[in-house]
Amino acid sequence: MKRYFDFYASMMRMSVLEQWQYPVANYFYMIGMLAEPVIYMVVWSAVANQQGGSVGGYTPGSLAAYYIVWTLVRQMNIAFTPYGWEWRIRQGRLSMSLMRPIHPLHEDVAFFAGWKVVMIVLWIPLALALSFFFKPDLHPTLLEGIIFFVSIWMAYLIRTITLSLLGMVTFWTTRVSALFELYFAAELIFSGRLVPLSLMPEWVQQAAWFMPFRWAFGFPIEALVSSMTVNDLFAGLGMQLAWVFFGILVVSQVWKVAIRQFSAVGG
Amino acid sequence: MSSVISISKLAKHYQVPEREAGLKAAAKGLFKRKYKTVKAVDGISFDIQPGEVVGFLGPNGAGKTTTLKMLTGLLHPTSGEVSVLGFEPAKRPHDYLRQITLVMGNRNQLSWDLPALDSFDLQRAIYSIPTDEFKKTRDEFIELLDLKDLVQKPVRNLSLGERMKMEFVGALLHKPKILFLDEPTLGLDVTMQKRIRTFVAEYNQRYGATVLLTSHYMADVEALCRRVIVIHHGQLLFDGDLSALVEKFSAFKTVGFTLENPAADLSQYGDVVSVDGSRVTMRVPKEKTSAVTSRLLNDLSVEDLTVEAAPIEDVIESVFSVRKEALE
Amino acid sequence: MNGLKLAANYLRIGIMNEFQYRANLYIQILQTFIALGTGLIGLSLVFDQVDQLGGWGKADLLAVMGVFTIMGGVIRAAIQPNMERLMDEIREGTLDYALTKPADSQLLVSVREFRLWTLVDIVVGVIVLLVALSQLNWRVDAWSVLGFLSSLVMGALMTYCFWLIITSTAFWFIRVNEIANLFEGLYAAGRWPVTIYPNWLRYGLTFLVPVAFAVTVPASALTGRLTLQTWLGALALTATLFVVARMIWRTGLKNYSGASA
Repeated sequence: MKRYFDFYASMMRMSVLEQWQYPVANYFYMIGMLAEPVIYMVVWSAVANQQGGSVGGYTPGSLAAYYIVWTLVRQMNIAFTPYGWEWRIRQGRLSMSLMRPIHPLHEDVAFFAGWKVVMIVLWIPLALALSFFFKPDLHPTLLEGIIFFVSIWMAYLIRTITLSLLGMVTFWTTRVSALFELYFAAELIFSGRLVPLSLMPEWVQQAAWFMPFRWAFGFPIEALVSSMTVNDLFAGLGMQLAWVFFGILVVSQVWKVAIRQFSAVGG
Repeated sequence: MSSVISISKLAKHYQVPEREAGLKAAAKGLFKRKYKTVKAVDGISFDIQPGEVVGFLGPNGAGKTTTLKMLTGLLHPTSGEVSVLGFEPAKRPHDYLRQITLVMGNRNQLSWDLPALDSFDLQRAIYSIPTDEFKKTRDEFIELLDLKDLVQKPVRNLSLGERMKMEFVGALLHKPKILFLDEPTLGLDVTMQKRIRTFVAEYNQRYGATVLLTSHYMADVEALCRRVIVIHHGQLLFDGDLSALVEKFSAFKTVGFTLENPAADLSQYGDVVSVDGSRVTMRVPKEKTSAVTSRLLNDLSVEDLTVEAAPIEDVIESVFSVRKEALE
Repeated sequence: MNGLKLAANYLRIGIMNEFQYRANLYIQILQTFIALGTGLIGLSLVFDQVDQLGGWGKADLLAVMGVFTIMGGVIRAAIQPNMERLMDEIREGTLDYALTKPADSQLLVSVREFRLWTLVDIVVGVIVLLVALSQLNWRVDAWSVLGFLSSLVMGALMTYCFWLIITSTAFWFIRVNEIANLFEGLYAAGRWPVTIYPNWLRYGLTFLVPVAFAVTVPASALTGRLTLQTWLGALALTATLFVVARMIWRTGLKNYSGASA
């Protein structure tokens, strides 16, 4: 246990130092990702205004809050994509990782976790700027704040798990981009990324409960922005926890098979 | 048994899709593929004792890297036995990984943007090296490789050679018992190659580590390895002392002498390899060496006559060319 | 007209190359339909709530989406791949090969790559546009067809100039790939008519990043919203951008040759 703690501390420290070298590049990267939520925000604010000030329970102010928090959660959401897996297999980097007495997935989780620390720091001024332009309406309670903080890291874990599962498909075939595209499309609809789920048809909302996407994206935002009951907050956290445990179980099984495949054909 | 590496009848066969030329064939291939078996490694056996430094030689595609990958657990053998330090590498137990290292000349493990010291610290965490021991080993290696002024610089600002030295420090911090070195001096200049070699030799002596080395640079092999293992087309060609390899496979010797009258016709004695002023170097079939030298001494006014074994590169080359015909 | 011949040659090679990778066609078709599907879902979610947005009805917005898809196809087929290659070459210092060829350097670096399969986007975009027009009970008239085609060409040219300007900054700043990312994000704003955005954003999308001229203006031509002033404005901006882009390219090139010599 101490060993893993030491490893995570060391790896995250390194990743922070590394990413801190490129604040400008990281900023452009973040700003590039701002366009998407700003578009959604503007469109839905226009809709709300035309409807006399609110749509599906969201006012322009709470929509602004939703999409500004969205930008942080989107940063938390970044994990190694399946394309990254393909790249590291081709580069022989996976082989090097496999030579170390620590599971390569720990390296991934720790590396991106460190990066996120940098991203959160860089995000704060951006969030202030966005708040200046779009006047969010945000009044979280302390409990909501705490749950939000825990749940963004859970969301990060869940998305790492799902993307890693997709990434492992590259052990069998290099033509997986079709699968990835479908995944990303499903994520867009069912996660609350395109619009808050409460603006979606009823059946989408129900389906989203049983899929990982919402727990890896929409839930933390809702926890902070919309006024959920204490029960709902903890139920959501419980769902996240369940997905993390279930996900780790699945990943470790698939990993065994995947690595057998990998070492059959060579890296 | 005392050997640290022991492999017997090791084989790795791949199924690869057969490609035919032409668009039509390619389109057909989309639906039904033909496979053929490639025997990358085809039944090789050897044992290596603790502390040995062994050169692992063979042309490109001979199966060297495949064998190394099976030894390091990255590849599962198709058949045969591998045992390293009593472990089965394919299972990659962490206790095994902690005792070995793999250095490849064209791969880097260190963070590009940070000083090497930071990457070293990560190695410490990965291999759970106690801090005191870590510092001692690190400083020892830094001293040995003369890196003191460079460890604070971002790795991207180092030269290729300096970077490779850093790689070695990082790869050996956990004091592995076995070193797998795959072309570690690739692309380095001669001085840097020498430096790395000295370091490997030093490490081997200080810690009694076993080293298995592949290299295209025969100087590496000559300087480090008494024993060489040669494979070709996935099969073992030779396993023994380097000198025995030269003795066994070299068909020629190199005869050098200084000629007082450079105009003389030398073709009747053997192949002239080079003429540098009055200094002539010739290649003479091994069994004719004594006859040729005495004739040279009789016929011409010759000085400083030397007879040497053929350069190791030439020997290796002749091993591969001879055997290839024999195998096919 | 040596330049046109050159461009035609590169086009031919590009197409032949693409035929080697036919699997990419299927992936492209899938991608196009996913993008279309999510776009349509977005539209229908909005029109579940309202029946017009900023004066644009459902069919109008469908037309915008058609133009958006067409223009996206043009950018990804011909503009973006060339500019990305150029960026890499400037960074790695391998641009010299292109500069030693006896042709106008700007033309040369702009025609070397062509992605045939992204034309799927154009086909699908045209279909969406036709569906939208039939919903609008659109009747062919010369002014809107000419206005549409000319503003589409101008929009593509402006986008090209914008990309070239951004790419040319790679002569001074090494890591510009992030800026390219930024464009992709901003281009997505073209899915909706720029009139719905707040003023500051609308001006940005009109003059900084020519999304308004690339998508909204051609769509306006078809839906009877294009005024002569806007059309003339587009013409003037195209000419200006072209001159500016060429100047920046020339200056950057001088800078580059100076540094590597």
